[in-house]
Amino acid sequence: MELITKYEPDVERIERFSFVARFAHWSHTITFVILLLTGLLLFMDSRWDFLAVVFGGYRGAGLIHRIMAVIFTVVPLVCVVLNWRGFVEWWKDVFSFGKNDIKFLLKFPLEFMGFHVDIPPQTKFNGGEKMNSVVTTTSCILVAISGYIMWFPSIFPPTLVRLAYPTHDIFMIIATMMVCMHGYLGSLHPGSGESFWGMVKGTVKADWAEHHHKAWYDKQREQQG
Amino acid sequence: MAKMGNLYDATKCTACRGCQVACKNWNQLPAVIEPFKGNYQTHESTNANTFTIVKFFEYDDVYGPKWYFCKHQCMHCEYPACVDVCPRKALYKNEWGAVLKDYQKCVGCQYCVYACPFEIPKYHKESDMVTKCTLCAERVEAGGIPACAKTCPTGALQFGERQELLAIARERVKYLRANGFPNATIYGEHELGGLNKLYILGDVPEKYGLPSEPKVSSITTFWQNIVQPWFGLLIPLALAGSAASFFTTRFLKARREQQEGGATHGTHN
Repeated sequence: MELITKYEPDVERIERFSFVARFAHWSHTITFVILLLTGLLLFMDSRWDFLAVVFGGYRGAGLIHRIMAVIFTVVPLVCVVLNWRGFVEWWKDVFSFGKNDIKFLLKFPLEFMGFHVDIPPQTKFNGGEKMNSVVTTTSCILVAISGYIMWFPSIFPPTLVRLAYPTHDIFMIIATMMVCMHGYLGSLHPGSGESFWGMVKGTVKADWAEHHHKAWYDKQREQQG
Repeated sequence: MAKMGNLYDATKCTACRGCQVACKNWNQLPAVIEPFKGNYQTHESTNANTFTIVKFFEYDDVYGPKWYFCKHQCMHCEYPACVDVCPRKALYKNEWGAVLKDYQKCVGCQYCVYACPFEIPKYHKESDMVTKCTLCAERVEAGGIPACAKTCPTGALQFGERQELLAIARERVKYLRANGFPNATIYGEHELGGLNKLYILGDVPEKYGLPSEPKVSSITTFWQNIVQPWFGLLIPLALAGSAASFFTTRFLKARREQQEGGATHGTHN
């Protein structure tokens, strides 16, 4: 039983994510996980003392949380500027949410559990990936804003600071939920296969692309002439 | 040990601010100099190095101006919101009613600053901790009384058992109401389920800068009672779903392959 689909460099492959996109993705992943672990220390009301030791105690964790927070917010912004066209393409695709995406979402729970279902042709991002893009991005923005308010509470009105605490927690939980599912679907879920290599190496197998993202695959073919 | 507390009689206070000085002296706090604001009040509010302050209020009345003084400090609530929100359990309530803080545990998150309905705890930047009045717990436990009550020259501040202080307060309010203070009232008996700092006020609480119905913000209670204990369960749920899928996908795939007579399903699933 293989955990992740094998990487096959010898077959025909097409580019899915540029270097900047992949850099943004993985830097965001690493900082998110560190932020999550250091943040959970306080969320768990000090029931995870063993984890605090790893970060040099609660104060150490607080410092790491702040350093990572800056990287977490600045790197994606820089990457958006560096890869503006890719960014626009991504969001254009996300907001072209159509009938096929709804069909995907309705059928997806079965696919998720491993049943074989016929899914209509998907664009570069399927219905689930579009949902993930919207929910995760919104959560990250709200977590970042509320986080900065909590970091510098004295310059904000007290009600806003009070509101920032539950906001930070709720959207941290939603983002973490999405990350759990996204991480699993993008690696260990057998149906997702090549998408893992799409984010690691940047390319996916052509026949996988044709099967999973027909609309996108056809467009790529057209552009290549 | 019975609940102990302070009784502050605003009608006896002359705003000498001896309590402020005694507090600074005992707690070894440096002076904080704030710009002149046009009245006698030393500071805007309590701050990280000033655990208690006397606030000044001026009102016009048919009989001439009225000048009210009111000592503000930690109220040592019976049900303290700061203790509830503290993620490090640095804040706690001791057996005779004082809300105390273990500075070894404080990490300066400032949750308590924004949970307190009286806006008392304040952030101390240099030490990255939040500070507040301790009801001089170490003095009381050594058989003494709080520095502020010890120094008060007019008898406006008394320290003792809460029940005894309440009896004194009721007598005093009765006397005040009969002698030109029709709005005289006790503050702290029932507010927020009871405070360990009791007040005798000559007028309505608002005129002394005290909220007449102090309330912990509903945002804070929502956060503490709903978000913190329940929302977090969504994360293990997502993990459990993924784990379940990990096994069912592989099980169903194996079964499909078996049915197809060992033929592989192709490169895609």
